Amino acid sequence: MTTEYRGPELVRDDDLTRELRAIYAAPSDASWWAALEQRITARIDAAVIADEWWTVPERWMRVGLIAAGFAVIVAGAMIVRSQQRVTSMAYQTVVGPASTDVPEVAVSGTMTEQQARLRVLTGR
Amino acid sequence: MTAPARAVRSRSLLPAGARVVAERPADERALVLAAQRGEREAFSALVRTHERRAYAVARAIVVNHEDAEDAVQEAFLHAYRALHRFLPDQAFGAWLHRIVANAALDITRRRKVRDADELPETVASPFRDPAESSELRRRLQEALETLPARQRAVIVLHDVEGFKHAEIGVTLGIPEGTARSDLHYARSQLREVLGSVRSEL
Repeated sequence: MTTEYRGPELVRDDDLTRELRAIYAAPSDASWWAALEQRITARIDAAVIADEWWTVPERWMRVGLIAAGFAVIVAGAMIVRSQQRVTSMAYQTVVGPASTDVPEVAVSGTMTEQQARLRVLTGR
Repeated sequence: MTAPARAVRSRSLLPAGARVVAERPADERALVLAAQRGEREAFSALVRTHERRAYAVARAIVVNHEDAEDAVQEAFLHAYRALHRFLPDQAFGAWLHRIVANAALDITRRRKVRDADELPETVASPFRDPAESSELRRRLQEALETLPARQRAVIVLHDVEGFKHAEIGVTLGIPEGTARSDLHYARSQLREVLGSVRSEL
């Protein structure tokens, strides 16, 4: 970090130094320094508590990760199953019987098949 | 009491209840190692040892006493969090001073932005009463506030706190030659103010 200084000779000005020392005098009261130390310690304590609140213990972190992995697997399986069911229903809709309503209505009552069909068509 | 704190106390023959302050590098190293293991008392001892010098570094950079105190608190908190990265064979003081200087420079930057947005004048510090009691000191104070933060820091660290150019370079992260030229320019500026005030009075 040393680079050669080629400027004028540095001469201390005693008057200036005296004035600067008066302006920048540090507190001389020992109790002020003790209080500063307490404030620093309190600030660190507060920060440590805040950090700990956010920090999850490693053991819990592992349990949480395993649980999250398991949940992802279960959710994935359910999505796949639900998807299969939807596909299967769509397939049944396309290739299955045109309507199953008519025979059921006909079978459930004493109406003839013709009466039942009429009832389905008119919605009564 | 922790082992390093006990060691410091027994070697320095302090009475029970006396405040532990590291006086030798070996003591300091023991305290740093203990603090790195999480012993809070050891870190408190480091705070007690370095708070005055840390305040001096901060005060050299910021414009008032309150900001210096804030910078010291910020710096110790940062040092505590970064302690695991510190190599115990290095000088703890130099490492801490660098952190303090950065914290103080941050506060100076934030204050500049805030002052530009809100208030045109800095808040008067009760601690500056002696300086404000004389016209010369008031004018000198104003001149110090107009100096670039780095030049102000260099002249205060050198002329008031007795730092060497190399130490200033390490603390502020600048080459030693830059510290010397900053000192030269800061002194000429302030000498001019001093001269003009004297000719007026």
